[in-house]
Amino acid sequence: MSDVTIDRSTLPIRRPPFSGVTAKTLAGSSPDWNQASKVKPPADAPNVLVVLIDDAGFGNPSTFGGPINTPNYSRVADEGLRYNRFHVTAVCSPTRAALLTGRNQHRVGFGLVAEFSGPFPGYNATIPRDCATLPRTLQENGYLTSCIGKWHLTPDDQQGASGPFNRWPTGLGFDYYYGFLGGEAGQYDPLITENQKIQGVPEGEDGKPYYFPDDMPVKAIDWLHRVRAEQPERPWFMYFSTGCSHAPHHVPAEWSDKYKGKFDEGWDVLREATLARQKELGVVPADTELSENDAFPKWDSLTETERRLYARQMETYAGYSENADWNVGRLLSAIEEMGELDSTVVIWIWGDNGASLEGTLSGTFNEMTTLNGIPLTTEQQMGLLFKHGGLEAWGGELMAPHYSSAWAWASNSPFNWGKQVASHLGGTRNPMVIRYPKEISDPGGLRSHFTHVIDIAPTVLELAGIPAPTHVDGIEQEPLHGFDFADSLSDASAPEKHTQQYFEAVGNRAMYKDGWWLAMRLPRIPWLLDPEALKKFGAGWEPDDDPAELYYLPDDFSQAHDLAAEHPEKVDELRKLFWEEAERNQVLPILGGLASFYGMVAPIPEVSTFTYRGRIENVAAGMIPRIYNHSYTISADLVIPEGGAEGAILAAFDHLGGFALYMLDGKLKHHYSMLGVFEYTQESEGALPTGDVNIEMVFAADEPKPATGGTVTLLVNGDAVGSGRMDHTVPGRFSGYAGMDIGCDNGLVVDRSYADKAPFRFTGEIKQVTFDIAPHLDAEAAQALHEHAQQTLAAHAASA
Amino acid sequence: MSDETLEVRIAVYLIPDLARDDFTALAGLAEAKTISAEGIVLVVKDADGELHVDETADHLGRKGVALGGGVGLVVGLFAPPLLAATAVGAALGGVTARFARKRIESGIGEKLDESLPPNSAGIIAIYDHSSSDLVAKTLANTIRTSTAEIDKASAKELKAGLEEAGASLAG
Repeated sequence: MSDVTIDRSTLPIRRPPFSGVTAKTLAGSSPDWNQASKVKPPADAPNVLVVLIDDAGFGNPSTFGGPINTPNYSRVADEGLRYNRFHVTAVCSPTRAALLTGRNQHRVGFGLVAEFSGPFPGYNATIPRDCATLPRTLQENGYLTSCIGKWHLTPDDQQGASGPFNRWPTGLGFDYYYGFLGGEAGQYDPLITENQKIQGVPEGEDGKPYYFPDDMPVKAIDWLHRVRAEQPERPWFMYFSTGCSHAPHHVPAEWSDKYKGKFDEGWDVLREATLARQKELGVVPADTELSENDAFPKWDSLTETERRLYARQMETYAGYSENADWNVGRLLSAIEEMGELDSTVVIWIWGDNGASLEGTLSGTFNEMTTLNGIPLTTEQQMGLLFKHGGLEAWGGELMAPHYSSAWAWASNSPFNWGKQVASHLGGTRNPMVIRYPKEISDPGGLRSHFTHVIDIAPTVLELAGIPAPTHVDGIEQEPLHGFDFADSLSDASAPEKHTQQYFEAVGNRAMYKDGWWLAMRLPRIPWLLDPEALKKFGAGWEPDDDPAELYYLPDDFSQAHDLAAEHPEKVDELRKLFWEEAERNQVLPILGGLASFYGMVAPIPEVSTFTYRGRIENVAAGMIPRIYNHSYTISADLVIPEGGAEGAILAAFDHLGGFALYMLDGKLKHHYSMLGVFEYTQESEGALPTGDVNIEMVFAADEPKPATGGTVTLLVNGDAVGSGRMDHTVPGRFSGYAGMDIGCDNGLVVDRSYADKAPFRFTGEIKQVTFDIAPHLDAEAAQALHEHAQQTLAAHAASA
Repeated sequence: MSDETLEVRIAVYLIPDLARDDFTALAGLAEAKTISAEGIVLVVKDADGELHVDETADHLGRKGVALGGGVGLVVGLFAPPLLAATAVGAALGGVTARFARKRIESGIGEKLDESLPPNSAGIIAIYDHSSSDLVAKTLANTIRTSTAEIDKASAKELKAGLEEAGASLAG
């Protein structure tokens, strides 16, 4: 189709009117080849590469004065532009939803993250059809589209074979997807999804574990090569979304060792050093000051062991992040080799929110402990770190570590707070660089326009010459909320278009307008999400009574000087404007994503029996039967050959939280890891029969309470053959990313005693495995536990 | 507690050189007779996962091979393979301490081997119970300690005390 005939405002683009002639036969007919051609983008439409780093701060990359060496990021910036007033939403999924739709996150159902599909329009984790995505628009206009890496926009309970797939990447505009659907992944053992199938954990090579960050550019380049071989001229859009620097902080020692000793002086010194470098680079004004925050301990108040531990945490995070830079560099080199770098708009955002505070003050060997609401003291964390391999194992595959929240605070320098805290720049302002030689006249320049993640989609469309559609699939579209800033590429003095913006995440709120910023932080410690910490925001809570801080950003880049007392009229004005924007964008009710903490919970699931037949593997964490805090039975019908069998009958997740039922050394065994804090094993006595055999694992909970203990009984053909106690069980969620397998134990195993036999495939036959979850006899207890489960899920969601 | 009571303390460390600092400080107290110690041992597991006795001190705080009677008490807790590569191991045959003579099969070496991750360390100290508070304060860099009390005269009780103190190492 030629451009002249194309109406791009309605998608899919309708076929043009036939301009030829049809007669009874070919004799007398004349062709119109536009009928057979594919939709073409406008002439000279560029390729677009959007790179998004995860859970990282303004003060992380060296490109913006941080301590992490990012030569590839600097290359893009030096050949392009640095944007130092770019903003995100303060939480993962909301930023991604806003990025890909060009609308405010609540308006597209992502006031919180994909793990929690809540009961209000702003929090249902479902992108509505009247807000078609940027990749869908580009795809319908003839672009080739792909997404590589973290997705985090598919509800937690919809990540299986039953879909619905219109909420997966390929259902939202991407031709090709390779990555992980959830909010995080073990970088050594991610549950990989390719297009519409969860493939499982790939195998490593050359005796080394698989490492997802190093595989990402391989898959991205492979896709580019494949589509280019077939379509030499069509532009492509690639969304390259790293799992780094989200926890678990996994990186080989060769990367973290580069930073040995670099952080021994601690976070207080790091903040000052970062600010000094930022001033040298000119990415912050010369008069920028550091704000204070007494939520974080002074470095010199720590013990020497604490200092060594914490320094190691940051060394790992830094190495992990540098590796991400290196891998994006590999992708850029391949694009350059293809001769397409200068015809590609590279938009690289360092962080979908500020660096994450969710590791608590001490950091943690297993981030799932905090997400399950299990409080661990610094001493307990150290003890568990000791148990799971010591300091040297931090960053390796046997832990799921997250650094101290104080490092996150320092990572967000010069700003205050971090992820989740949408009221402050530490959560909402991240570095962005853009390279596009065709438009940029002053490579290496700095742009200080107020920009926001919802501006990316309109800017890309502007550069591509494609209008935002008014209708998609017959559905009238919500106009884009963002403003294109394409003219700022060529003109440093281009007028600022984005003059006001609301922010909200987990109750933390802000209103920006014409340089003024009203910060309304929910008065709580960001990394505490439990009923006790949240109860004061229930009935009787009046948000406008929360403390408010007022900043004038043109004079105060880092929000160091609160002007609220001097300008009460501005506080009132912005507060009023916030409520107007909140209503217009489905932000209400505030804390709608945490409704389960205030008595609003989904109906108790009625289905309590789940049967797995055949070779079912890699069931996502949100899709397993909800055994938590219940009595339950796992039953398996097996055929055991003469001579016996061995292997996993069922294995869910890994040694940092999971359970497995398996046969080894002629015994039936059950192993349960309570998040790596406690581990329990029960085994059968006496010889196991052969032939058709039924085995059962019956867990009888002590009481209907979260994390209840209980008794395990193992049965073979109805006869008890073994038993044991489990004093503590997982109350809410075993894993953020690992999967459940029938007949094997993929990825990292549950019980390290058979790690050398992984994937420990069962050598007999499994006819079926059935979970039967016993209801609580007491309806009140059932409701209370259901509420707890919903709250845990919501808390996990807020932190994902 | 009476003067006839000893305390066995096992302290574990995330970082070996911090354990060395504590060991040196404790040996210094013994040397100065500020505490009354029967013996102190520093055990290190290296990056390759090999456990070895790194340093010892006797009741007078004397380090290494200058063994007095007391050091044999703690060195004797370890099976010869653990000591073979050390000067202490070579000297062990000459130890005349009463506990070592009884060849205590303490199992503490195996227990530490199980419990210590690579690049970590442990200190085992046996001293008069009256020194307990000062010893605890001196071992400032430990991430976890456990203690047990034993009768000075009983090797049998020493074994039980070590088992008691070692029981929580992995927990």
